[in-house]
Amino acid sequence: MHLKYESQLREPLVSGNKDYHQVSEDICRPIEVKPTKLWYVGFFIAITFLCFGVYCVYREVTYGIGQWNLNKTIGWGWDITNFVWWVGIGHAGTLISAILLLFRQGWRTGVNRAAEAMTIFAVMCAGQFPVFHMGRVWMAFFVLPYPNTRGPLWPNFNSPLLWDVFAISTYLTVSLLFWYSGLLPDFATVRDRAKTKLRKMLYGVAAFGWTGSTKHWQRHESLSLVLAGLSTPLVLSVHTIVSFDFATSVIPGWHTTIFPPYFVAGAVFSGFAMVQTLMLMLRKVFLLEDYITMGHIEAMNKVIVLTGSIVGVAYLTELFMGWYSQNKFEGYTFWYSRANLFSPYGWSYWGMMACNVISPQIFWFRKLRRNIYVTFFMSIIVNIGMWFERFVIIVTSLYRDYLPSSWSPYYSPTIWEMGFYLGTFGLFFTCFFLFAKYFPVIAIAEIKAVLKTSGENFKETVGKEEEMQPETFAHEYAHAH
Amino acid sequence: MEQKKYWQSFGELNNSEAYQQSSKDEFQEELNIPFEDSKGLFKGVTPRRDFLKYLGFSTAAAAVAASCEIPVKKAIPFANKPEDIVPGVANYYATTYVQDGDVVSVLAKVRDGRPIKLEGNEMSPLTGGGTSARVQASVLELYDTARLRFPTIDGKEATFNDIDKAIGSDLAGLGGAPVVLLTSTVTSPTTKEAIAQFLAKYPGSRHVVYDAVSATGILLANEATYGKRAIPNYRFDNAKVIVSLGADFLGTWLGGSNEYSLQYVKGRKLTDKKLDMNKHYQFESMMSLTGSNSDERFLHRPSEANAVTLALLSAVNGQGANGITDAKLKAGIEKAARDLLANKGAALVVSGSNDVNVQIVVNAINEVLQSGGKTIDWSSTVNYRQGVDSDFAKLVDDLNAGTVGGLLIYGANPAYTWYDTKKFISGLQKVRVKVSFNPKADETTQLVKYVIPDHHFLESWGDAEPKSGYISLMQPTISPLFKTRQWQDSLLKWAGATADYLGFVKQYWIGKLGSESAWDKALQDGVVNPATEPAATAATFNAAGVAAASAALGSAVRKGKYELVIYEKTGIGVNGAANPWLQELPDPVTRATWDNYAVISPALAKSLLGIDLARNGDSDSYEVHPDKPVIKITANGKEITLPAVIIPGTQPDTIAIAIGYGRTEKMGKAVVGSGKDAFPFTSYNGASVVNTVTDVTVAEVKGETYRIAMTQTHGVYATPQGVRTEVIKEMPLSEYQKHPSVILEEREEELKPFGGVADFEKKGTIYTYHDKPGIHWGMSIDMNSCFGCGACVVACHAENNVPVVGKAEVARFHDMHWLRIDRYYSGDMENPNVVFQPMMCQHCDNAPCENVCPVDATPHSSEGMNMMAYNRCVGTRYCANNCPYKVRRFNWADFMGADSFPNNQDELSDVVLMMNDELTRMVLNPDVTVRSRGVMEKCSFCVQRTQEGKLTAKKEGRPLKSGENNEWDVKTACQQACSTNAIVFGNINDTKSAVSVTRAENHYRLYRTLEEIHTLPNVTYLAKVRNQDEMEEKAEKGAKAETKKEA
Repeated sequence: MHLKYESQLREPLVSGNKDYHQVSEDICRPIEVKPTKLWYVGFFIAITFLCFGVYCVYREVTYGIGQWNLNKTIGWGWDITNFVWWVGIGHAGTLISAILLLFRQGWRTGVNRAAEAMTIFAVMCAGQFPVFHMGRVWMAFFVLPYPNTRGPLWPNFNSPLLWDVFAISTYLTVSLLFWYSGLLPDFATVRDRAKTKLRKMLYGVAAFGWTGSTKHWQRHESLSLVLAGLSTPLVLSVHTIVSFDFATSVIPGWHTTIFPPYFVAGAVFSGFAMVQTLMLMLRKVFLLEDYITMGHIEAMNKVIVLTGSIVGVAYLTELFMGWYSQNKFEGYTFWYSRANLFSPYGWSYWGMMACNVISPQIFWFRKLRRNIYVTFFMSIIVNIGMWFERFVIIVTSLYRDYLPSSWSPYYSPTIWEMGFYLGTFGLFFTCFFLFAKYFPVIAIAEIKAVLKTSGENFKETVGKEEEMQPETFAHEYAHAH
Repeated sequence: MEQKKYWQSFGELNNSEAYQQSSKDEFQEELNIPFEDSKGLFKGVTPRRDFLKYLGFSTAAAAVAASCEIPVKKAIPFANKPEDIVPGVANYYATTYVQDGDVVSVLAKVRDGRPIKLEGNEMSPLTGGGTSARVQASVLELYDTARLRFPTIDGKEATFNDIDKAIGSDLAGLGGAPVVLLTSTVTSPTTKEAIAQFLAKYPGSRHVVYDAVSATGILLANEATYGKRAIPNYRFDNAKVIVSLGADFLGTWLGGSNEYSLQYVKGRKLTDKKLDMNKHYQFESMMSLTGSNSDERFLHRPSEANAVTLALLSAVNGQGANGITDAKLKAGIEKAARDLLANKGAALVVSGSNDVNVQIVVNAINEVLQSGGKTIDWSSTVNYRQGVDSDFAKLVDDLNAGTVGGLLIYGANPAYTWYDTKKFISGLQKVRVKVSFNPKADETTQLVKYVIPDHHFLESWGDAEPKSGYISLMQPTISPLFKTRQWQDSLLKWAGATADYLGFVKQYWIGKLGSESAWDKALQDGVVNPATEPAATAATFNAAGVAAASAALGSAVRKGKYELVIYEKTGIGVNGAANPWLQELPDPVTRATWDNYAVISPALAKSLLGIDLARNGDSDSYEVHPDKPVIKITANGKEITLPAVIIPGTQPDTIAIAIGYGRTEKMGKAVVGSGKDAFPFTSYNGASVVNTVTDVTVAEVKGETYRIAMTQTHGVYATPQGVRTEVIKEMPLSEYQKHPSVILEEREEELKPFGGVADFEKKGTIYTYHDKPGIHWGMSIDMNSCFGCGACVVACHAENNVPVVGKAEVARFHDMHWLRIDRYYSGDMENPNVVFQPMMCQHCDNAPCENVCPVDATPHSSEGMNMMAYNRCVGTRYCANNCPYKVRRFNWADFMGADSFPNNQDELSDVVLMMNDELTRMVLNPDVTVRSRGVMEKCSFCVQRTQEGKLTAKKEGRPLKSGENNEWDVKTACQQACSTNAIVFGNINDTKSAVSVTRAENHYRLYRTLEEIHTLPNVTYLAKVRNQDEMEEKAEKGAKAETKKEA
């Protein structure tokens, strides 16, 4: 009997009539052949950016934060903007792997591996900023609560920055575990296909001795569910806590109760956009069009238009409250420092509006949702827009706050400040290139699991049998004897 | 049924050993504890479980072993303790600040043999313990790396013996050609004696007094009308109406004496019961510090100054303001005249003009007002400025004629300050014996053969008589750092006297005071005052010259489209440019540092540069970028290109440029690249130096910009939600008299939903209330007394080792001032009112900075202080972001050379490195930690002083005194420096402390900045009251003009 209902309208999750072997072949191929020239070029560029970033950080650590153009009024600028941006990007991975797993969204299997990798790399990049934005980074361990000889002197548990430390590190740990536990069966597949001793040994170690026994699978499944359960609140909590950095302060433009949901929606928004950017490149470069299908792209575009509209509502709510509260400071921040196009940073606010709220609305049209070029372009636009959002929140709130005497002159970053950001791109893509080369970029085991219900090949053979009426079946097989 | 063996693998089929093991291990449950079998760490069964532990430990151990190397600096204790030095305890010596004729009695705080800070001497009735920014900064000049370190002959080091011999023989060989001693104003009686002895030795020689910015006009006018070439004792405290015709008497007039600000503010202090204050009119062309404090201010072109003076005379004579066409100005003069006449005997008119005729007319006005003996007291004279320009002009002529054989220069620098330096220099070259006693290789000293650098005043003996009858004594506080010699010693030596100058001073004063013990006491006090204050007397007025003077003033002045004013800055003055503290002190009005610039009006900016500040976008784009447009100014055949700084309140056709900049690089690192010399634009009219040019051309230099380091930008500060009054509260006197409690009522109204003013602390929060027993520190700042001079800012620099960051960093908004004076404008842009608000850490009892620090580096003390634990700070800057007052300062770079990274100061400007010099660092206060790069800092309420004060009280077994009966255990540095007692600090839990009394007496005017956000600041302000009938903008009704409050 057909155990699962399959929508007639829904496209298959994997196209191209794959069987199990083909799946393994397709996904392991990039790992087993020499990388292409394109890979080398990309990797080299990423490493170059990374090295430049390291140099920028070196300068900042040696000479001081004065290497950046922050000032007595604007204490945070590109550094924390980039931090929030990267953390936001990191959100899609967990959302896809955890929440969609719990909601039994089969389509997640095509993209979850790469999305989770992206999450981990993005969180790694994000982590650089709060660490290196410290004036005395060599004292960064002061933020860790551990018994010490200084009293003991504990960190300040009231500080949202400390909450950040816990939130981000928890998030990174859980994401990493989740990702790695998913990788185990696939590492075992690669190990089993290995033709050299070294490869066998390395992937063997990485596979933690996975044999594919039922017990392994049973534990693996329970672990996945447990981790998914753990990650689900994290999806909401991490960016909520990041938003507390601002929401619990007294600065007009920061001190806003709408921040937690608004930040989470924004994070999912930017995360999906980044997943799109990466997936579109990945499927092209590694010929994975059958696994990352138009259906995936469309599904993610739907998420983008939804979350984009949520942040749009949030922006409008802020403007409304800026007027409705009759709070002079908020009114000034929202209507003068931001929404006034002719104020010094008006361009960033309207850039944000255009990128995040107006342009994603094109995804109401199915044709555009399913257009790869439009999707790719939009994914970049959304990420730019979300960067602007964080910049707007941080800089335009700070630069003209309560005391007009301290209103800041125009803040624009130094080359070292931008270089740090570029360097995290270098870090991100270096990791991502290595990941793409050495790791199965699509969850082989999970794809095989969905092949059963939506693989064309399966439907043609096994599926047909299942759908047969008992009489027909008996009739058919009677002849076989 | 047959028992079949089902198998899944060959292992299972053959039941191999390996298979058995693996099937056994598949469900292995028990844990292996590594140390159980005592085989050691890595031989344990599962060392991988501990991998992270070992990794962590070894990384940490390696990190600890490899880092943490901090250079060892040795401190060597005294082998034998000097009698009067207790390590860690400061000694105070009374001495006197003397520079260019300015005299302020001070106490030098000496720690371990080093003078590190100057405090005003409260025994001086002239200053009442106040100081100025220049006085506060002068201690740094002691440790100036650019000081000359030894005497030189033709630039080569020489011994005193050699140089004395050489000069002696040179002077002897002059063959009767006169020797001229050229000095700035000398107020010291003993120095005058020494000069007399010297001049007696060289017959035909003379003493010429030359002041870079002289009071020639006043001196000569008084000679003409009162028969005395002297400056009377102005009594601003006796004046109910003060009219200043361009005199910056709170800033730089007559040397910027603290006395005038003290007197002036006496008449402006208010309480809930005292509802009366003096009225101050200012007529000027550019926004001076004094003008910015005035009650009513009227603008005129510089060329109209004469006409305004004449019009005022005719107005007080009841003939109306004749000759003035501008209706506003005319009405202003007539109004001022009415007020003056209504307060005869309590009115004072002063003028900043250096024109003799103007000053004669001013004297005539004062005569009409019967000021003599009331607000102008001739019982004693003021000696700050004695030079007359014509004396020096004659000397220059003599020099060029070759009739001067020797020129000895002390304190004067005409090669920089004289309007025609070329003529002076060419004349100087004709002099055979040229000697300079100046402490630095200034423009004149560079041209001189013999240089015998003088001591710094903190290394010198001496005395001064700033006002006749009032003596201030000077004693050394450190033995000379370099091979320098007091110039009086040189004079005495060359005069053939046997005693040195110390002996000379001592003998002189023992003679005057009667005994050695009297001398000791005088030295200890630092001042000798008349036993009783002499009664004010008037002088007989001789009106003979008035008609001629009026006629001379009445003649037409050549008038161009634009005019130029050359002015003196409050901080820099003539000679301050080499002092990093003064350079970094923002000008009170323009808020710019490290440069001079062309001050222009918004109207001129619009017509000349196309910048319309009334249009928001324009004003933003002009204000938010430190790169300012450059203009070229041509006047008197000379031209100068300077950045244009737009300052509201400048007369529309007037451009103002400050002197004191564009110095020779030998003055020190602070002057390098700092501004341009404006002295060439002054001129000489045959009697005195004139500081205005009435016909100049101005043009924009297209495409060129120049970076001006400003600590504050302008911006319109209003929203559709209404006027913002929570930072600055101000009202006209008429309203205050009618309804003194209006501010209190407004606060009450605003805080009503949260318990009202009284209960706001408890009811404005959801948290429980904590008692604050014991000492609770608080500060009260009277904005009616603060006039924005900046003495407190520099005092804070000196007290708290606040770093100097240099122009490039200030331009990046990286200035480190713990205390700043915010300037706000209100009213129209053409001629706004200005309010100054000293702003430092407010030490909030509910501080937003405290709870956001992840490492608890900024906790609250039980005494209400918000504290910084520098060595706990990791530098997230979150606290600074969350501070509504933006008073926290971050160490963006290694400004103080305080951390152990090598070469990390490579990118800082030279002036920062100069402040890190071994010599300069001697000025550091050892009680205050020098902050390293990457930590936050801010005002600490001078916690080192409060601790010291508490200890003093504890040792004496009594409660702490903070102002009860004017007895003080603790004064903060800013409070001590303030010349007008605008800042009062103390224990607010003590109802008798000065701060509590001030708050109680000013219940109505008291407010807290940004009170409604419930930060509960411990700093309170007393609202500004301006002696205006009705704020003009009030007439226009509220919103429009008042919302135009600008920052």
